[in-house]
Amino acid sequence: MTDSNTTRREGDGGRRRFLGGLGLLSMAWAGGLLYPVYRYLAPTIPKDPFDAEGKAPVEGVKAEDIAQPGQGRNAGFAGGGLVVFRTPEGELRALSSKCTHAGCNVEFQGGSIHCHCHGGVYDLEGKNVSGPPPKPLTRYRVAEQGGLLYVYRPDKA
Amino acid sequence: MADHMHTVPEEALKELPPAHKALGKLGRALLARFPVWPIVDFLRNKKVPEHRHAAWYMMGGLALFFFAIQVFTGILLMVYYRPAEPWQSVQRIVMEVPYGNLMRSIHHWSANLMILTLFLHMFSAYFMKAYRAPREGTWLVGLALLGLCMAFGFSGYLLPWDDLSFFATNVGLTEMEKAPGLGPWLASLLRGGPAVTTDTIGRFYVLHVVVLPLAVLGLIGMHLLFVQIQGMSEPDSFAALPACQKKHKKFFFDYFASEIPVWLAAFALLVALSAIWPRALEAEADPFGAAPLGIKPEWYFLAQYQALKLFPGKLEYAGMALMGIVPLLCALVPFFDRAVPSDRRGTWIERAGVALLVGFVVLTVWGWIS
Repeated sequence: MTDSNTTRREGDGGRRRFLGGLGLLSMAWAGGLLYPVYRYLAPTIPKDPFDAEGKAPVEGVKAEDIAQPGQGRNAGFAGGGLVVFRTPEGELRALSSKCTHAGCNVEFQGGSIHCHCHGGVYDLEGKNVSGPPPKPLTRYRVAEQGGLLYVYRPDKA
Repeated sequence: MADHMHTVPEEALKELPPAHKALGKLGRALLARFPVWPIVDFLRNKKVPEHRHAAWYMMGGLALFFFAIQVFTGILLMVYYRPAEPWQSVQRIVMEVPYGNLMRSIHHWSANLMILTLFLHMFSAYFMKAYRAPREGTWLVGLALLGLCMAFGFSGYLLPWDDLSFFATNVGLTEMEKAPGLGPWLASLLRGGPAVTTDTIGRFYVLHVVVLPLAVLGLIGMHLLFVQIQGMSEPDSFAALPACQKKHKKFFFDYFASEIPVWLAAFALLVALSAIWPRALEAEADPFGAAPLGIKPEWYFLAQYQALKLFPGKLEYAGMALMGIVPLLCALVPFFDRAVPSDRRGTWIERAGVALLVGFVVLTVWGWIS
């Protein structure tokens, strides 16, 4: 009686271990199957928009479009949207146009920069001055070369 | 009778038309081949309590009716919609395809009315305390369905690829990105990259026309099955009545028949709204352009939109936490309510429900007029 009980218990333990191992193996197998599915769906890392010198061409605006102080445009480069403008003093500036609040594109309005989605306002330095934005806009160094505009990688600015 | 045929139960024979009539013959022939009488019997069991709040019971069926319209018009829109040239193909539906503008507008209005009906369904279940044990499962599945329907709205909104859809998607995904934990990962997976592009459309399209419909159909099945098994909930005032005063209507087909005129009226309203206020197609999305003035989300996201404006700077996270906590509290209500009529918790749940309803309406109206 005792013997057979012991045997059964040992048998159960063995079966449990076997099923446990099988469970682990199945999970590893499912993981192996799901990994390619995940990689298929996961976005690929975008190409670096800046060249070896750390600069990238601005699309959608030329130097002549914003030749006068107080002129500005929404534009962009491979790395995202920009507002490119001249301050009333005539300085050329480029800021990321992605509002730090909810990601809408901001608009240059002469003396300040506005976001129409939730009413955020930034000054011409890109600093958030009113409304919901929590942070300033990223500022890029911008330069003109042969009528075209280029922005530079922020850490090299 | 051949031995592999089934005997038609006595009960069924009583219900079926006489054997010499065509329908009676067909019924007997079918039941002899498919012994499904227990299923028929199970379905016939459903009965609807009759009381002065009973009109609210119509909301679930009405939402299902709008969902059927969504499936039908959605299939029609898919015939011409091209995810590779989204705005152009929607413009073609609106400008060139006969009745295309009508089909698209019905899809738009039916989505809105479906969400509205679901809100009414949810609040009526809440105030009639239909979520109480043993119906926690039905309540939770219902909440999940409301969430999925809002995801339907959000994913469908991007597909026309106009100014409104582009920035609405930007805002939604940016908020998701700021959520702690899986937020950034999920936002990037949905967006398909660091910015909203036509790659995002592919993902939203698949969600909108395949993944969400399958999920919603499965959950609707569960929701209805739970109601069928557990029977309809009776509000306290009705449950307290003596048995002889409780009146019920059989769901099949007495109550069902009474729903049909309501659906027809809803359909008439739907077509009228679509004809009078067809859904506009804004300018094609310009990923570098500024967000247009006066941009606003659909009404069912206006409360969140207004809350986003009200919590500036670092307080933003407080606003987001509030938005996350409301659905969580809704999910926990059945486990908090001890279902004792005299219990003070019941009163608190009612007050919280009124506060939620008033808060939602106030924020929505405020967002609308501001």
